[in-house]
Amino acid sequence: MSVRLLVLFLALGLGAPARAAAGAASGSEAPEILVSRGLLRECGLSPGDVVMLSADPHGADARLFRVAGVYEPVPDPARFTAKRLEARMHLPDLLALTADPGEAAAADAVGAINIALKDPADAPAFARELAARAPAMSVVPAAAADDEHFVIIERFHLAISVVTMIGSTAFLLALMVIRADERREVAGLLRLLGLRRRRILAQALLEGLAIASAGAVFGVLFAAATQGAVNAFFQWRYDTTLVFVRVTPAIAARCVALALPLGVMAGLMASWTLLRRPVLDLLRR
Amino acid sequence: MSARAAIVEARGLAKVYPMPAGPVEALREVSLTVEPGDYVAISGPSGCGKSTLLHLLGCVDTPTSGSLLFEGRPVLALREEERSRIRLRRIGFVFQRFYLLPMLTAWENVELVQSEAGLPAAERRARTRELLTYVGLADRAGHRPSQLSGGEMQRVAIARALANRPGLVLADEPTGELDEETGEQIADLFDRVNADGTALVVVTHNLALAGRARRRLAMRSGRLAEPAAVAAT
Ligand SMILES: Nc1ncnc2c1ncn2[C@@H]1O[C@H](COP(=O)(O)OP(=O)(O)OP(=O)(O)O)[C@@H](O)[C@H]1O
Ligand SMILES: [Mg+2]
Repeated sequence: MSVRLLVLFLALGLGAPARAAAGAASGSEAPEILVSRGLLRECGLSPGDVVMLSADPHGADARLFRVAGVYEPVPDPARFTAKRLEARMHLPDLLALTADPGEAAAADAVGAINIALKDPADAPAFARELAARAPAMSVVPAAAADDEHFVIIERFHLAISVVTMIGSTAFLLALMVIRADERREVAGLLRLLGLRRRRILAQALLEGLAIASAGAVFGVLFAAATQGAVNAFFQWRYDTTLVFVRVTPAIAARCVALALPLGVMAGLMASWTLLRRPVLDLLRR
Repeated sequence: MSARAAIVEARGLAKVYPMPAGPVEALREVSLTVEPGDYVAISGPSGCGKSTLLHLLGCVDTPTSGSLLFEGRPVLALREEERSRIRLRRIGFVFQRFYLLPMLTAWENVELVQSEAGLPAAERRARTRELLTYVGLADRAGHRPSQLSGGEMQRVAIARALANRPGLVLADEPTGELDEETGEQIADLFDRVNADGTALVVVTHNLALAGRARRRLAMRSGRLAEPAAVAAT
């Protein structure tokens, strides 16, 4: 959090006087920082530059740092439209920069520590155990906050897909009914010749299955082929490395699992509308 | 049931279509018996009910009143599935517009009804070859209807009608879309079919074709005229 605050003040600290000061001899011993790609570009920095950073909006108690390199911030789906103007520094430098000079103990105080677990799934159990051992500490799995965003995004996606499915099912059914009606005469003839309705339905079922399979395979291949383009566009548009679309095997399997029964049902319903009519109705023009 | 039982026995058949402008009486009190090996021609003005009668005899439609026996079975008491079975195995249909399945070849059109009837593949192949040779189209087996002439399509349709060795073939204006010479070829073919033992009921305006039949019936306003009256016309 404090790093992010720093970044806001960094811009203020980088006025012309600051640059002039950076030229001083002390620059070569300045502690090193990494700046985000966005910040590097926004402020026209390059590695080796010396900058002044301050924890204060007015630039009080500014310190010199040398830009050692650039890094790509981990993309955050919850804030992908925000500019990532950030810097990373060593913990002692951060403490020195943010410590209240009036309070000596502040330099030794740590407000929060992030702990990476080998298996992230252990987080809740680990948090419970740690909280039990050190009741004064507040232990929270870090992913929890992000999860909330994803639950909302996922619900939104579900709503979109439900609406899409209902719309396309209606469209598919209409298509199948039109197609079945084009074959009214053939269906009538088959029944007149004595073919059982069950056999004609089985044929329609096979056909529906073939069309639905072809459609599902096409849909998945199309999505797989275009996901690169969609990602490239939005990554360019929002200047992020965030991946917006990813067709995983699970998603492809779900598409096929939904499309096949739907196609078969639409085919059967459309055929049934024909088959329950009297034979001569089908043959009459 | 004796071996010489009639194929169809219709008694007092009537068919009324309820229409908004009032009921249309397509058939009134029609009685007709077709014996095995019969050859019956029915003629009459347009709209007099010929096709309606053929559909009733072919178990495609049901009469409003009257009784109908097909090979001794009361058709009106049968379920649609059973009537469909009779159509498949015991009746062959030939139409003015041929009604071949456009996506199937001549061979497949003839084979389809046999496979529906459950004939083993080897028998189907032999029967289909035999029938296409019978109608003179052995060399056109792989052609689709769109690649055949009208007369050829009608011959395929006749081969299909005979596929399951039916007792009765019903033909509705089978030469209606053919020129005189081609019509004559079809008439010759019907003669052979009948000579081989299949009963035929042919609805036709074609006097030459009607002339081949052993019994000629006239129809007017939904009624079949007595054969004596036919002779007078
Ligand atoms: N589905 C139907 N609904 C109402 N009326 C019908 C129907 N089918 C036939 N009809 C009427 O029944 C009568 C007999 O029709 P049908 O088709 O049997 O005549 P047809 O003798 O075969 O004539 P054509 O020689 O022109 O083929 C006609 O008046 C016709 O309009
Ligand atoms: Mg007619």
